[in-house]
Amino acid sequence: MSCCAVHERALQDEVLKVTGLTVYRERQLAIENVSFSLLKGTDTAIVGPNGAGKSTLIQALLGILPRQTGEIQVLGQPVSKQGKLDTRVREQIAYLPQSFLFDRLLPMTVQELVGLGWDRLGWQLPWQSHNARQRAIREALSRVDAWHLRHQSLSGLSGGETKRVLLAYCLVRPRKLLILDEAPAGLDVRSEGAFYQLLKELKQENGWAILQISHDIDMVRQSCDRVICLNQTIHCQGTPQVTLTAENLSLTYGSDFVPYRHSCRDKQGKG
Amino acid sequence: MTFDAELTRVIELFQFPFMQRALLGGLLIGLMGGLLGSLTVLRQLAFFSNALGHSALLGLSLGILLGINPSWTLLPFAVLFALAVIYLFEHTKLWTDALLNMMHSSFLAIAIILLTQVEDYKGGINNLLFGDILAIQPSDLILSGVLLVIATVFITLTLRTQMLVTLNESMAIARGVDVAAQRHAFIILLALVVGVAIKAIGVMLVSAFIVIPACAARLLSGNFTLHILYSTGLGALSAVLGIVLSAFFDLPSGPTIVVTQLAIFLGAVGVSKLAANVA
Repeated sequence: MSCCAVHERALQDEVLKVTGLTVYRERQLAIENVSFSLLKGTDTAIVGPNGAGKSTLIQALLGILPRQTGEIQVLGQPVSKQGKLDTRVREQIAYLPQSFLFDRLLPMTVQELVGLGWDRLGWQLPWQSHNARQRAIREALSRVDAWHLRHQSLSGLSGGETKRVLLAYCLVRPRKLLILDEAPAGLDVRSEGAFYQLLKELKQENGWAILQISHDIDMVRQSCDRVICLNQTIHCQGTPQVTLTAENLSLTYGSDFVPYRHSCRDKQGKG
Repeated sequence: MTFDAELTRVIELFQFPFMQRALLGGLLIGLMGGLLGSLTVLRQLAFFSNALGHSALLGLSLGILLGINPSWTLLPFAVLFALAVIYLFEHTKLWTDALLNMMHSSFLAIAIILLTQVEDYKGGINNLLFGDILAIQPSDLILSGVLLVIATVFITLTLRTQMLVTLNESMAIARGVDVAAQRHAFIILLALVVGVAIKAIGVMLVSAFIVIPACAARLLSGNFTLHILYSTGLGALSAVLGIVLSAFFDLPSGPTIVVTQLAIFLGAVGVSKLAANVA
């Protein structure tokens, strides 16, 4: 394959491209000159200390926060500085926030929430495509092992159940980009394993590009294809094996950073 | 007087056009209040409807002072009040309830000062405070009907968007929803509904039409769509029942409707407790 053909293939597979992104939050510089790209069928983690600008970066990508400079392209379409993006491209993105805050008195069932992930928002009759919608809800909830929760009120769910239901909200319609802000937080060990297995399937079988914020360096080493070390600006990026060195982690987290390893995982590895 | 004689009197009363207009007006306002009230309560804007109701006295006073029909000044005032509240929400870092409290107290004070300057209207303040549903005119019915159609079309066609905005604004923005535009549209619609309802119910009681049916509906439903339907239905039921009861017992209409709403709410409390015990 020629050099030009390889370049063209890479462009076709490019789901997200960020160039020179700078964002201020409450008049304070949050992230500066951030550039990276995501390819189809890859899982990229963003790591960095608290306050490094990880959530700000994701919110700027989604248009929740305005940006000051830089360019963002999703599937080749530009995101405007005010966060506007072509509706058909926007539908290809799923987002799972870090903290899912909602009024506990809100009358909403699991089924209703997941259905909102399927709906094309805008002017439409609520009963439009009812059967296809119900089928998609059933498949998405079954995939996260939460079909039995369909009639339950959101306020009655545990933290782990809420995460699974939110993941079903993301999965209910085929997408090209999944953005997760510390998504597995609150899941037990069994659910966490199932969660990462599901991400692997979405990436390998469905070709989704995944961008996730994580504090679990071991998980990033084992599961992700690329890692971005962020602390206001990108200190390093690449494959986890090459990038997550003690030197780079100290550079990102501060000189006194001691990499934490899960003792049970180490024992399993040795055993 | 026997029950049969009383019933005959009430049936005869409803032969009069003014009573028929009151019944239809109550039904339309009850439907609108219940429909908009469901989303108002879920978005914690109940105090907004109360503040707008009280502040609307200024809109009415301006009309009286200028010597024109107060209805002509009330609706523009309600919309301007809504826009002012939106502006202050978005441009100050103050608490919502504190801002609303400040605005409605100030507007109420200005309205009372203005009313004291109008010699002819001092005696009629009760009508402004508690409304007069029996004085509803055909033009009021047309206005209420048009507004109900607009509110129903808007909420039906944007139901999914309204649900996501109510649930979590960040998730709605991530899906490309213009949350600010949705918020503005809803608040302006709510202001118009409150403005139209004030003539019938008065500034003191208008927020009950928005809040009480929606609270009763919340106790009866754990589902968003059903909550809207129940709230709309209970709003209409309480208005019609309240007008009939006010005719039967010869009581003031507006307060009787609000007491009926309260009775329905207490019934909903009982039903929800019963359902919880059975489950």
